Parts: sequence; C-alpha cells; structure tokens
Amino acid sequence: MGVLTPTQRAFLLGIAPRFVPDAARLDASEATAFTDLIDEALAQRPITLQRQFGLLMSVMRWSPVLRYGRPLDALPPASQDAVLRWFQDAPAQKLRSGFWGLRTLILMGYYGRPAVGPVIAYLPPDNGNAILHARTPR
Amino acid sequence: MRELHADIVIIGSGAGGGTVANELAPLCREGRRVLALESGPRLRDHEFTSREVEMAQRLYVDSGGFLTEDRSMTIAFGRVYGGSTVVYTGTSLTIPEATVQRWGVPGLAHDDVLRRSEKYLGENNVHLLDEGDINDNNQLFAQGCRALGYRVEQFPLNLKGCRGSGVCNLGCPHGAKMGTARVQLPEAERQGVEVVTNCHVARIEDRTVVATVKPGTVGAASAWEPGSYRIRANAIVVAGGAIGSPALLLRSPAAAGLPALGRYFTCHPALILVGQHDRPITNYIGHPKSYYCDHFAESDGFLLETCMYFPFTTAKSLTGFGEDHARMMSAMDRLQMILVLALDPPLADNRVMVGRDGEPVVRYHFNDAVRHALVSAMRASARVFFAAGAARVHAPAARQFFIEAHEADRIDDLVPFDGLTLGKTTISSAHPMGGCRMGADRATSVTDAWGQVHGVPWLFVADASLFPRCSEINPYVTVMALADRVAERVRAALPDLTRHHA
Repeated sequence: MGVLTPTQRAFLLGIAPRFVPDAARLDASEATAFTDLIDEALAQRPITLQRQFGLLMSVMRWSPVLRYGRPLDALPPASQDAVLRWFQDAPAQKLRSGFWGLRTLILMGYYGRPAVGPVIAYLPPDNGNAILHARTPR
Repeated sequence: MRELHADIVIIGSGAGGGTVANELAPLCREGRRVLALESGPRLRDHEFTSREVEMAQRLYVDSGGFLTEDRSMTIAFGRVYGGSTVVYTGTSLTIPEATVQRWGVPGLAHDDVLRRSEKYLGENNVHLLDEGDINDNNQLFAQGCRALGYRVEQFPLNLKGCRGSGVCNLGCPHGAKMGTARVQLPEAERQGVEVVTNCHVARIEDRTVVATVKPGTVGAASAWEPGSYRIRANAIVVAGGAIGSPALLLRSPAAAGLPALGRYFTCHPALILVGQHDRPITNYIGHPKSYYCDHFAESDGFLLETCMYFPFTTAKSLTGFGEDHARMMSAMDRLQMILVLALDPPLADNRVMVGRDGEPVVRYHFNDAVRHALVSAMRASARVFFAAGAARVHAPAARQFFIEAHEADRIDDLVPFDGLTLGKTTISSAHPMGGCRMGADRATSVTDAWGQVHGVPWLFVADASLFPRCSEINPYVTVMALADRVAERVRAALPDLTRHHA
C-alpha cells in the first residue's frame, strides 16, 4: 500500500463524479475503499508504470491551467468534462491510452467495490440454476 | 542455490502443462521423477470468493489487464494451479478441419487432433446444457441470431456440478469446471507427479531449469521452500502459455536464436457490446456462455459469443463516461452482452519480446482486416440485440453512446469503420496464441509438428504458443490435443535423452 499520495487520492476523488456521478455521494469509508482499490492495483504494477501514472495525473491536473487558469479538479463540471473528453479523443494515442488507464482505475475504484452490487442491481446468487429452474417456461 | 535432478520438468500447469503432466504421470511408477512448475498459487476452496477485483488479482497476470506495448489492448491469462483453465468458461470446441488445413503444418493431420480432442471431451465431462439451465441473456442471443438468419450453435461445456453462480471467469467457487486443476493435475499428483506452485522460471540453460520459489500471499504453501533452484532434467516441456513460453525461451540460450521465436502472435482481439432491455432479464444468473455464432467466420473474419461480465469489467468495456455510462451501468439486471472476436492473421511483426527487466512485452498491430472485422462484428451484434428486443445498444465504436431501437435501421451509419479508436475503445483478448509456432521451416517456425524445438532434442513446447495461426475457436481443447501429442513424443524420446544425458 502507499503508491498514491494524499494529494493524488484527493484528485482522483475530486474527478471521480465526472466518470460516475454517484461517486459524489461516497461517504468517508466508501471513499477510502475507492482509493484503496486503486492504490492496491497500482502497487501490483511495475514501478515504471506507477511513475507514468503519477505523471499522467499531474499532466491532466495541471494542463487546464493554460486554458482555464485553474487545475482540473478546481474547474466547474462542464469544463472538467470538456478537458476529459479532449484527453479521451486526443490526437496522440499515448494520451488516449493514458486517459483510458485513468478512467479504468476510477471505474475499478467505484464498480470494483463489492458494496456497489445492490446499487446497480447486481446480486449474483450462489445457486443461480435454482432460480432458472423456477422460471415459468416461455 | 539448490541443485536437483528430475527426468522431466514441465513449466506451466494449464491446459498444456496439466495435460502433459497427466499423460507422463505413469512414468512415475517406473521410478522417473516428473515435476510441474507453476508460477501461480494453489488456491484453497475458500479462497474462491467470487469478488471481482480480489479474484482478478489472485488468478490473472496483472489482474487480467496485461497491456500490449502501445497499450491499445489488454490480454487476460491465468497464473494459478491449473492456469487459464481456472478462469475460462469451459467452452469446449474441437478445431475445424479447414483451420488445421490453413495451419499447414507438415505432419499434423486434423483426424489426429480430432481423435485426441475427443479423448479430452470425455475426460472433462463435456456436454450441452439442458435448456432449463440456459438464462435469458443466452436465449435472447440465440433468438436474435435465428430471427436474422445467422447460424447459431450451443457451446459444449466441461462442467460437473455447476450451480449457475455465473462467475466462471473469477474461478468457480464450486469447483464445477473440469479444467486441469480439477481433472488432470490431481490425477497426475496421485500418480506421483510433483506440482510446485509459486515457482517462477527465470531461464532454461543446457538441460537445466533455473527457477525461484517465492513465498505466496494466498493459497497453500508451495511444495518447496522459498529460494533459488537449478533443476537438471533429461527433458524440459515449456507450457507457460503464448506469452510466457516465448518470453521464457527468449531468455534462454538454447532457443533464443530461432528467428521466428515470439513472432506470429495472434489473440482473437475482442470487444464487448451491451444491449439494454426495458425489463430485468436473467443474465448474471446461470452459466454465462451458452451460444456462439460463427456465421461470419469465413466471410468476415469474426465470431460472436454470449458473455456476461462483472460490474467493473462491464464498466471499463463501455466507451465514454458520465451520465450515459452511469445510466447503462445502473441496472445490470437489464443488460444483454455479446463478445465479438476477430480472427486475426499471423503477422511476423506481432510478437512477444522481453523487456530489459526480462518480463514479456507484446507488440501488436491492428491491421485493416482486424479493424474491419471488429466494426462489422459490432454492427452484426447490434442487429442481434434489436432482433432480441433490446431497447438500446451500446457499441464501443458508435458515434453516440446509445443506439435506440428506432435507429436500428441506421446501424451502419452509426457504427462507422473509423469509429474504432485505439487507446479509446476497450479491446481485450483472452486467447493468446502463437510465438512458438509449429512448422517444418526453422526460419518461420520454432518447433516441429510434435512440439520439439528445432535443433534442441530435449526441449519441447506444449501450449497455445504452438499454433501457427489463430485457432478460430476457443482454443483450450486444441491445446490439450497438441499437448497430448507432445507428451507422446517426450515419452518416446525419453530413453534416448536419458542415455545421452548420462
């Protein structure tokens, strides 16, 4: 544990609602679970990848200063979306892939939590066949 | 560094390694020592928790997100006792005759592969599910295909005691998938094969395996103490999969000079499409993969398969973010899913390499044929969803997040060929193949038709890396059939190899 700095954790939590609106409603323990999942996933990746991800977060956070005068996580939601869409469709594949990686980790932090199941109607039973067998034949 | 001796060392315990281990196990009764080295852990039953992220970390290399060099695709492959047979869905197809003909390997006949495949269909309890065990997600796919006149078939599956938990790709919590972890490896161990888990092989020197056993964080303790080992052997069988095996041989002096080593990598690049229904359907309940459509395999180079993934995997497979994305994800019980797979050509430049740290690096170029196949497959899938009654469809390369049912007549416009954007569209693979391809010519192949590495009589390969081209079907039964051949060759060659070594 401990790949992400407190600043990076705050940044990820700050932009997460642009990816998953319900992430804005995470309470403190849920927010910790969210960033812990990302941190744990990064910890298992090579150190070079961890550094690249850290660099990417810095680029994404600070690049809007040139146009908007503020970092990404301090922008209003519509401007945040515009910046994120630019990265998603960036002309350089490396930037697109970097954005994809960030998006993937944020989605993992939110949807990878077991607690999300009831929220999204995902409640797999241990014995699914019993449910199938109880169906009325079509 | 501990020094050991064995008659045969098998590296890997998946469909290839597990098969070889079991086929060579009778040699143990003759006093031969047979080892199977597996880099992953031997998970205990209670460690199959069905939790998505946790199981991905326990079962897969890089949690299933191994990235290609340019990060345009992830490749999922297992690292656990039983290899990728622990994480597949158990789909058990035999390779078509036309595919073996396309492979064009002198000395490899379809009837021989078929005969051996059928042996494993029996051994692994392969059968078709009863209709009552097939959920709506699968039935709707079949209905949609039939309504459109697309050929659709039921997958034979290697299940025993399946309870329909729907989490096959996270390792079955009930041990109901008849992969090597459940069938071949336990039998091999009963006969005396030693399976050593958490054992990472660094390289192969002259008749010697250099390996390290690492302490595990999950699973049963390895049969060997943590530490470094040199294992002398009369025969070495490499079965680390189509990424692990070429990478290991590239790190090993005995084979590293072969020009085709690592090349001609194929992987059935895949995408997930999602259709949303206006009502809940049974989708994550029951076995996730009952049907496939090979209607377009010959004409357009793609397959369609049913699938049902877990929340995070589903979320990352959709393109985009924000409100629409969340709306799609908000009701998982209304989602129908289709996996599309491109039948990719063997290109010399698509290859496995090793980085400066010795770890595998996969270089993969999406040529026009593969891009065309993926987009064509998305269009066909969208039609299947709407024919099955979906209200809206998400296609990763579409101009808009949702294609509504009333737009179904505009699918070709809405899913353009230039919509597939590398680095933006989530593309994944679970069928890595090639890199140690069979053939007669050492300029374009790595092994002969029996898996023996050209010019190295004691070194064999027995996994999907042998495939000279893609399998055009889910590959594990073919891997077992080829591994069966390799085991036969090793058994026949062992007396000579032992004499020479002595």
